[in-house]
Amino acid sequence: MRFSDYVLIALRNIWRAKLRSALTIFAVVIGAMSVTIMLALVTGAKSFFLSQVEANGTLQQVAISPQQDITNFNDAQHSGGGNCSANCVKLTDDIAGKIRAVPHVVGVTRVANQGMLAAIGYNGQLLTLNQTNAYDANGIIVNNVLAGRDLNASDATGVITMTSDYADKFGFKGNYQGIIGKTVKLQTQNFYRGVGATVQPPQQCDGPCNPNNHPDDQPTTLTAQVVGIIDTSNESKSIRVPLEWMRQMQENQMYQMTAADQAANEAEQTKCQRQPGPCNPTQHFSLIVTDMLAQNGYSSMIAKVDNSKNAASAATAIKKLGVGAADASASVKQQLTVFNIVGLVLGGIGGIALAVAAVGVVNTMVMAILERTREIGVMRAVGAKRSTVRSLFTIEASLLGFWGGVIGVLAGFGLTRIANILVNKQLASQSVKAHNIIGLPLWLILAVIGIATLIGMLAGLYPAARAAKLDPVEALRYE
Amino acid sequence: MADAEYVIELTNVTRTYKLGGETFNALDNVSLSVKPGEFIAIIGPSGSGKSTLANIIGGLDRPDNGTVLVDGNDISKLHDGQLSAYRNHHIGFVFQSFNLQGNNTTMENVMLPLVFAKLSRKERNARAIECLQSVGLGDRLKHKTNQLSGGQRQRVAIARALAVKPSIIVADEPTGNLDSARGQEIMSLLHKLNKEGITLLIITHDQSLANQAHRIVEIRDGKLTGRRG
Repeated sequence: MRFSDYVLIALRNIWRAKLRSALTIFAVVIGAMSVTIMLALVTGAKSFFLSQVEANGTLQQVAISPQQDITNFNDAQHSGGGNCSANCVKLTDDIAGKIRAVPHVVGVTRVANQGMLAAIGYNGQLLTLNQTNAYDANGIIVNNVLAGRDLNASDATGVITMTSDYADKFGFKGNYQGIIGKTVKLQTQNFYRGVGATVQPPQQCDGPCNPNNHPDDQPTTLTAQVVGIIDTSNESKSIRVPLEWMRQMQENQMYQMTAADQAANEAEQTKCQRQPGPCNPTQHFSLIVTDMLAQNGYSSMIAKVDNSKNAASAATAIKKLGVGAADASASVKQQLTVFNIVGLVLGGIGGIALAVAAVGVVNTMVMAILERTREIGVMRAVGAKRSTVRSLFTIEASLLGFWGGVIGVLAGFGLTRIANILVNKQLASQSVKAHNIIGLPLWLILAVIGIATLIGMLAGLYPAARAAKLDPVEALRYE
Repeated sequence: MADAEYVIELTNVTRTYKLGGETFNALDNVSLSVKPGEFIAIIGPSGSGKSTLANIIGGLDRPDNGTVLVDGNDISKLHDGQLSAYRNHHIGFVFQSFNLQGNNTTMENVMLPLVFAKLSRKERNARAIECLQSVGLGDRLKHKTNQLSGGQRQRVAIARALAVKPSIIVADEPTGNLDSARGQEIMSLLHKLNKEGITLLIITHDQSLANQAHRIVEIRDGKLTGRRG
């Protein structure tokens, strides 16, 4: 018997029991659709993640941390500053120079993220600041600029970029250009002693006292001009200031008694002792400005290598300088593993629906064989082999699976399109330049249809074996 | 094959069934020879074993003992594939209840054995039309068989039996579901085919039908008890 005849006869038999076939196929549709959607979500998320990684150039980067034993790229980026607990080295300009000299390294960005600023205000509205970023504007860290421009190397102080969520809150949603050039207020923490802070001269005190212990420590308000709005794909609720300005913000202004002050004070004291009557000598102090960034080191650095293939070897070479370093390949791999596991779990959930549908196929085929027992007898009488009968019913069951798979994929495709529209809206509202991230690659379409067909076939094996085993004489007598 | 004296030769054929723990002999040491082109009526009461005899000759059933030579080949030794091919190429079955697929057209019913014979679609069509014309249903090609009368249905069944140009037709009570006039029409048709050279085995308990055969074989309790004609 020709294969086309098998298919034709099977299709005719499926058509003959329309309602039952439709219900059985419907169950497969549900299963195939769930598998399609679940896997489409995961593959979409995965390729979105990869495209982001690609766009950010993360794979070409080595993150450098003051913490020597760091192994994870993301940890390395965030371990700096006050987070470094053990085995710490100072990330200095000197080290940055040495890193630049490492083979394949084409550039280094020094990063200083410290929470000097507490809030950002515009037009009377004050918003809490999550993060203030500062790093060399040399193009190694790429931001997606939605309006205005990103910071550049000539920016020194008084300018910032902010993420679009702040611009939204300040009432510039959909009109980011509107906030460009506007002046915002940056409110510092209470203990702020950096640039712009008004540090009171120490109080005169009798005996030993801390001249810098001011009960009236107030936050300082700095002003900045907004030059650009960037999207939230890297970070949300953050502003970026020029690295030089951050250096100044981290400065510590303190009145200290220098040797000259000491001498002056002693001179006053002596003068007092010589004079009769009450004497209140003035204490001399000098305002000393300490560069805390130079003293403490940068919170992290990012080195860019010429090719992502060289990232791992560059990381190893940089580690030899005594700092912590990690390239992104391991963490990207780790992320992809997470995606794969999530894919398996979600696919498995869809798979359960398919397994239930398989039971439906078995049931339908067993019913069909009971109904068509006599017909099977006739087929055997006119020359059908056992194997022919078996193939016929197996193909019929496979076709139930196949149609279920095809319709399920189509339905899944439709739903992912709808989901894409919703996700696009969501992404657009967060100003992320990405769309249609839920992908339905060809391999997924073919795999789902293939699996549904295979499940139909497997579900048909038992009923088909029963049909093939029927004794033709008994089958012809069956009422 | 053409030289063989007998087209069918059964020797000491025994077929035993188990029913409710009891065994009974449907065929008990039966021997029978049929010449090519013979028209044989197998008669006997219900449960005598006549259908079993027909099924064994038709290759639907196998004997427990004995040999069944058809055209000199022992079909009792064939495996399923060979036996199916034998039924497909040599045997045409006609059943009392027609056993047609009611939702299918007459053409589709007649083409069924040709599907298993791996004929091309074109050849199948041509052969089915030819067979339906030969049974007088040339004007009913596209009719569904459940729209036809009993006599017409049996003629479709005969056309289906003829499709693969069998050498033997086994008809089990072919007129059992028909009135006498339609029954006679079917008998005339079978006579005609027999005259064209097809060996005809009819199972019946209608004596008048049996009398039209060249030879009557009577079977009782699984044993051949009489041969006339």
